[in-house]
Order: sequence, then C-alpha cells, then structure tokens
Amino acid sequence: MASAPPRLPPLPGSRCTAVSARAVNHGGRTAPELSGPTPRVVVVTSGKGGVGKTTTTANLAASLARLSFPTVAVDADAGLRNLDLLLGLENRVHLTAADVLAGDCRLDQALVRHRALHDLHLLCLSKPRSKLPLAFGSKTLTWVADALRRTPNPPAFILIDCPAGVDAGFVTAIAPAEEAVLVTTPDITALRDADRVAGLLECDGIKDIKIIVNRVRPDLVKGEDMMSALDVQEMLGLPLLGVVPEDAEVIRSTNRGVPLVLNDPPTPAGLALEQATWRLVERDAMTAVMVEEQERPKKKGGLFSFFSR
Amino acid sequence: MLQVHFCTFPNGASSNHMLTNSHLIVERQGCSLSSTKTCALSRKDFSPITQEVEGFLHNVVNMGLVDRLKLAWKIIFPAPTIKENSNANIAKQRLKMILFSDRCEVSDEAKKKIVENVIEALSEFVEIESRDNVQVDISTDAGLGTVYSVTVPVRRVKPEYQESEEQYRGKIVGVDFKDTGESSGNVDVTFDFFVPNENY
Repeated sequence: MASAPPRLPPLPGSRCTAVSARAVNHGGRTAPELSGPTPRVVVVTSGKGGVGKTTTTANLAASLARLSFPTVAVDADAGLRNLDLLLGLENRVHLTAADVLAGDCRLDQALVRHRALHDLHLLCLSKPRSKLPLAFGSKTLTWVADALRRTPNPPAFILIDCPAGVDAGFVTAIAPAEEAVLVTTPDITALRDADRVAGLLECDGIKDIKIIVNRVRPDLVKGEDMMSALDVQEMLGLPLLGVVPEDAEVIRSTNRGVPLVLNDPPTPAGLALEQATWRLVERDAMTAVMVEEQERPKKKGGLFSFFSR
Repeated sequence: MLQVHFCTFPNGASSNHMLTNSHLIVERQGCSLSSTKTCALSRKDFSPITQEVEGFLHNVVNMGLVDRLKLAWKIIFPAPTIKENSNANIAKQRLKMILFSDRCEVSDEAKKKIVENVIEALSEFVEIESRDNVQVDISTDAGLGTVYSVTVPVRRVKPEYQESEEQYRGKIVGVDFKDTGESSGNVDVTFDFFVPNENY
C-alpha cells in the first residue's frame, strides 16, 4: 500500500531548522510503515471547542492521503458541520450517513472524494437541520465503521472528527474508535478539559491516546508566559504525537479551502502536522523539549564572553 | 554554638568576630590609633538573610583572589534568572491542583459508603462518640495531592486495645548502680519497681 513514493512538495532551501529535520527524523525514508491492522479507526477529540480538532483532522487526513493511504474522514458533528469547509468540499456534499441509514442511498454514494487527493474521502454524519435516526443512536458510527470495513476496498484509516463537549455527540463519535488523538492547547482551560476527556476515553476502553499540542507560541514559552509542550505532557501523562506552532497560514488555508499540509513551500505548522502523521502511521511518539531550538546569532567571543551569561 | 572568626586586613587592622548563641561580638582594632571597638549585636538584630550571608562569607574566605573577583562580579551584576512566579509556573501549579481534585472527585453515595466502612473498621478498636459527627473532607495539599480526611470523634479505646499499665506490672526499671562492689565489697543499687494503681 505504501510502496509507491508519495508526491511530496520540493523542500525549500533554508526556511527554518525544522525543514531539514524531516529527512533526519525519518532517516531518509519516503514513506512510513503502517503499524497495526487496517482499517485503523482514530477519533480526534479534545473536549474544549476551538483548539483545532477539525483543522487537525483535515490535515492528518490530507497527509495520509498524500502518502497513499486510503482515508475516510468522518465529520461526526451532526449539528455543526465544518470538516467539509476545511477540505473545500462543501459544495459537493449532498448525501450523508443519515441518508444511508435511512436506506435512501448506498454508502459509496455518500462518500465525497477529494479532487486533488484521490485517496481521501469525506463522510458527513447528517444534514445540519435534520436529526439522526433514533434507531441507531450512539451506535451510528459503529455501524458506519463496520460498513466501511465490509466494502471491497476498505480504507486504511478512518479519522473521526469529534464534536466539542462530552455529551451524546461525543459518546457517538468515540464508540467505534480504537485509538484517540487528543488535541489541546497549552492553556489551563484546555488542559483541564483534555484531562477529563482522557479519563472518559479510558473508561470507554480506548487505551491508545496520544496528544497533539496545538497553537504553541515559542516566544511566549521562552518568556515563561505559556506552558511548554513538556509541561503539557507532564500534566496529562500521555505520549506526544506532535507539537504544532501557531501559524497564520492555518487561517489562510481554511479560507482557501485547501489543507495546510499541501502548501508548497511547507510552513512550520504544516511540517509539524506532517511529522505527526508519520508518527500516527507508525504508532510512534515524540519526546518533548522545553523550547524548540531556533537559530541563535553567534555570540561575540573573546573578552566580552566573560561578561555575558 | 560558638563561632570565632579572625580577620586580618592588609593595613594592619584586625577584627575578631565571636558568634555565640545569642550575640555576635565584633571586636575591631584599628592600626594607626590602637583603638579597640567592641560592639555586641544580639541575634534579634539579624534578619535570616544575614545569617545565610555569614555562612557564605565563611566559605568565601577560602577561595582564591580570582574566584572572589568573579563572584563579586556576579553579585554586582546578577544574571536574570527564571522567575519562580512566572505565568507559566502559576498556571502549572493551578493546573496540578485542579487536576488532582477533578480526578479524585467522589460521588455522594461513595462518600456515604466510605464513612460507613470507616466507622465499621474503627469500631472494632474504639468506641465512637457519635456516628452523626463523622465527616469526610476532600482537600488538596501542595505536597501530597488530593487528601481524603475522615474525622471521627472517639469516646474511648476498647478495653482489649488500651495502652494498658498491665504490661508494666512487676517490671523493674531505672536500675542505677552507684557502687558495683568490686572494690568495696558492697553493692549500692537504686531501682524502680512498678506497682499498678488498683483503681484505674
């Protein structure tokens, strides 16, 4: 499945030190090795809203598709639908999982294929103004996941974008999942909610939980105004999948409807998400550092080095 | 505690410091006029920082000249250190507390059951004053994290578990040999023989 070399954008000369880290981290390989049986059902959740679940889901799905892993991204938010906007597919969603469950159409008719990434499909749970069929309730997505498994070409990854909160929508979304990606920002409110959600996930039987720390501002971390990724990992006690810096490009790419990771040249956030994707595929985790290394101007040596610390 | 420092200054002056339990006595002798000034400062005059500095100066005396110059530079121009009460650290502390208490929140019926079980376990050993006054509190402590405390008012210990004087009946304690009799042939011993109080 991952034998064909993926179409990666050409790397620029020297935008930042993280650029060369790609080849270093991955040992010059062109594709990650898939770990575990397929399809892998991963739920992207956070508890608190607005920390970047949908952005993360869209970009992880786009990355996976670019690495030639057939992926289905499911928007499990029945009321407020956003994943289609981030992938630029909002005009092409006509049939949803609700229609499939009602028997009005087939499952493959409800899957929307991305124009550029042919391995990426989107499935929305329901139309915004209609309710889910009560017969299924919280097992809706379990049924959908099973149906996807039974198709002639089952996907390698099913990414579920969970709604915010811990109510019925959350319970529905985590039902079919075996792994979870917990997205959080390094602030106290998000971390409290993330901890609560981690507890709920473990109660539900999902033991494989990894964190993505989103919207990190390295300047604030250095000035001791924001907690670092290391602190976050200490607090939550879960392995780290990725650390994504605050990047204006996220807003631009959302507005354009093109996932961030497809940018050429890649931006810091896009690179971080790409690395997170590799780690997701290989079931790996990263070790956190307190502050990301940045280029520092050379100090004037000699007599004055004695006076500076 | 008695500490004595002798310092000799290059131009011939000398000063002796004597640190006793309550006073610091400084005796200073100038060189030109042989004047001796003695002043005693009681311990109350010292803030805790000064005492630390005293110990520090004691160590400094042993360092070489170059090291002392470097030290002086670092003292006069201290490098900026990480603030202990930076925003990130405050957030971390608050988060720790809130995570502990969130993780260990217990439902009301669990609290009732805890109280009942604790009362049952304790009533094997003590007589409880009143069952209604037993309280369970959940609090957070900086060092220990979440602390559950069950407060049980106790009337008295059950007889079989009492720290009783029975154990001392007939015991001989406090043996003191004033004369072991090796040289004089007489033995002089004092000891205590415990007779329990009959009405306890």
